Amino acid sequence: MQTKYLAGSAALFAGLLVLGWITHGTGIVRDDPERNIVIPDELLTELQVKAAYDGENIYFRYRWPVERPSIFNDVLVYQDGNWEERGGEVLGPDPDFLVEDRVAMMIDDGSVPMFSRYGGYITIGDGLTTFTGVPETDEERTKYLPSTRTDPNDFDSVKPQSDLETLRAAGQFLDLWQWRSSRSNPIALGDDGFVAEERGGDEGTGPYATNWDDALNQPKFMFDPAKVSGGALNIDDVTSGKVGFNDVYYLSNETAVPFDPDRQWKNGDTIPRRMLQAETGSRADVAMPSAARWRNGFWDVTLVRAMDTGNPLEDKIFRDGGNYDLAFSVFRNASTMRWHYVSLPVSLGLEQPAQMVAERFEGDTPDWTQPWTEITMYYPGQVTWGRLTDARQHPGADRIAQRVPVASRHSEEQLALYGVQMEFADEIRRQWLWTLFVSLGLIAGLGINVNLLMRRREEKAQ
Amino acid sequence: MTRQTPTQTGISGIPKDNPMIPAQQRIRRIAFTATILGLLGAGAALAHGADAGVQVEVVGEPSWSLSPVYHILVAHFPVALWMAAYLFILIRSLSDSQFAVRLQKAIWPLAALGTLAGFVTYGLGLTIYPWSAITESPLGRNHIMLATWTLSYWTVMSVLGYRFRRHLFDGAQRWITLVLATIGAMVITITGTLGGSLGGTPSLVTKSLSWIGWDVYMTYYLPTWMLVAYGAGALLLIAIGIVGSRRV
Repeated sequence: MQTKYLAGSAALFAGLLVLGWITHGTGIVRDDPERNIVIPDELLTELQVKAAYDGENIYFRYRWPVERPSIFNDVLVYQDGNWEERGGEVLGPDPDFLVEDRVAMMIDDGSVPMFSRYGGYITIGDGLTTFTGVPETDEERTKYLPSTRTDPNDFDSVKPQSDLETLRAAGQFLDLWQWRSSRSNPIALGDDGFVAEERGGDEGTGPYATNWDDALNQPKFMFDPAKVSGGALNIDDVTSGKVGFNDVYYLSNETAVPFDPDRQWKNGDTIPRRMLQAETGSRADVAMPSAARWRNGFWDVTLVRAMDTGNPLEDKIFRDGGNYDLAFSVFRNASTMRWHYVSLPVSLGLEQPAQMVAERFEGDTPDWTQPWTEITMYYPGQVTWGRLTDARQHPGADRIAQRVPVASRHSEEQLALYGVQMEFADEIRRQWLWTLFVSLGLIAGLGINVNLLMRRREEKAQ
Repeated sequence: MTRQTPTQTGISGIPKDNPMIPAQQRIRRIAFTATILGLLGAGAALAHGADAGVQVEVVGEPSWSLSPVYHILVAHFPVALWMAAYLFILIRSLSDSQFAVRLQKAIWPLAALGTLAGFVTYGLGLTIYPWSAITESPLGRNHIMLATWTLSYWTVMSVLGYRFRRHLFDGAQRWITLVLATIGAMVITITGTLGGSLGGTPSLVTKSLSWIGWDVYMTYYLPTWMLVAYGAGALLLIAIGIVGSRRV
């Protein structure tokens, strides 16, 4: 009889362990738009990169999977007499695909402390736009370098302009190349920017302007009716993906005409909110040999820039035989802002040993025969540099102080999972503590049970 | 006049052929062993804290911390002792041979010493990082969780071993003993591999856990309804124990 009680108890205990194993980790991690939390379905993706140079120009070729390309960004939709803005900035993936795909690359030549070891993490200060608990501000609070603040964890503690200029002259900035599927690709442009005291564009004008006239409360441009029937697209055709690469889907000098308010606009008429334009100044340094196309589930994008742009305060100058550090990000599935995938830092050598080697070529264009460098990209969640360097919040803070590279301690998958959990840090910690105490109670219950039920043979005989 | 030969007595003067060492003597020996282990750990901590550890300034750095190496070093003792105890339980559960019966006598001392060493290891582990930091780390949380389970579980096993000795293997009870010990061996293994992962050396065991449903980089926590089930399960186990003990 007693053996049956014991067996039943062991079965109950083991059953609860198994049930706990099956159900663990559930009940907390879920989308919470109120707190700007949307967890991507996929936490990891891949980016393939190649680089080549000829002594004058350097080319980077990027390829990454995208199930459905997004060739629109924010648009203006006519509805009952008004032009309403849609898309552009949404939390997480936009079901209407009104958020463009993008690739970005940060570059350093060894001047920025710790970038080679921690990549983009060093640029994530506290209180950035879209982070949970950060109030919305008129001005976007972008990433920045810790050295540009008197308190690296205080966005508002920007150093005096003279100090910033000194830092810039010392090379303490990251070069930032960007490609956008809607706001630069159609006219074969990239975008040259930087990360220093802010994330910004180099001097000059960028590849797009806002297609909105505040004074008249109407768009500035519309499609040329000779190229797009009615001067506008239809929103359903746009969001369903019916409008594609072979259609005129962007506004530029070739496709646009001044907006005509007297046309008979109908509900659903859609005009891009951005007018594409030629770039000027240093911002025009990053270009494309030709506009990219999405094919067979992949974007395949090539950017090119002069190795020496003549703008050493805005661009990292590439030199034959040089070594550099890169960090990538890709935006896919119609997501923007912090809903991107990032890489750990990647070393680049121009015909030098590195994780990624840029090959020197002769002739007009690279033949791209070298193999791809495969880079694992991951969703970073909300992890700030302040948290990582605080020993009260991060057990590895001392390793960072010792300059131990992140890649030697964490994999991309691990960082993605940590990033997600960091978005629910308090809730998970609380639930974990409860689990610790309650499971301890279960083990104690088992101990009491078995001690009561176990028998010595002499006792049985009595 | 009788004369005892050296082979007949131990160093404490207790006849060696007397299997029943007085309880007080046992307790004294256990206390002695625990004290030695504790002193070794504390000595190592003090020796290390003098001129080693993190010398670089870190925000929020604790005033005193202990290098993980001592925790890692000492952790091998409970692991070895408990796993040896498990091996002996396994052999004894499957065999009534003379050899198995001899091994059986070492089970509870091994388990108990393992538990004592486990407490020292656990204490050393808690000195490495600030509590606020280690409980922010999913891997750190998981290691603490499994270490707590392991220590509490083997404390239970040690008490059982001490109280029931050879009766653990009476009749069908031996299978209960084997099942409980197997669970104990599993939690030791997982705790150890999580410690390895925390130290930056994940093993195949770490990866295999993800194949059976647990990515160790995700915090192990139960949903609230499961916490209630666990609480109810604990009470039910105690109730079954009380009812069962009265009916036997």
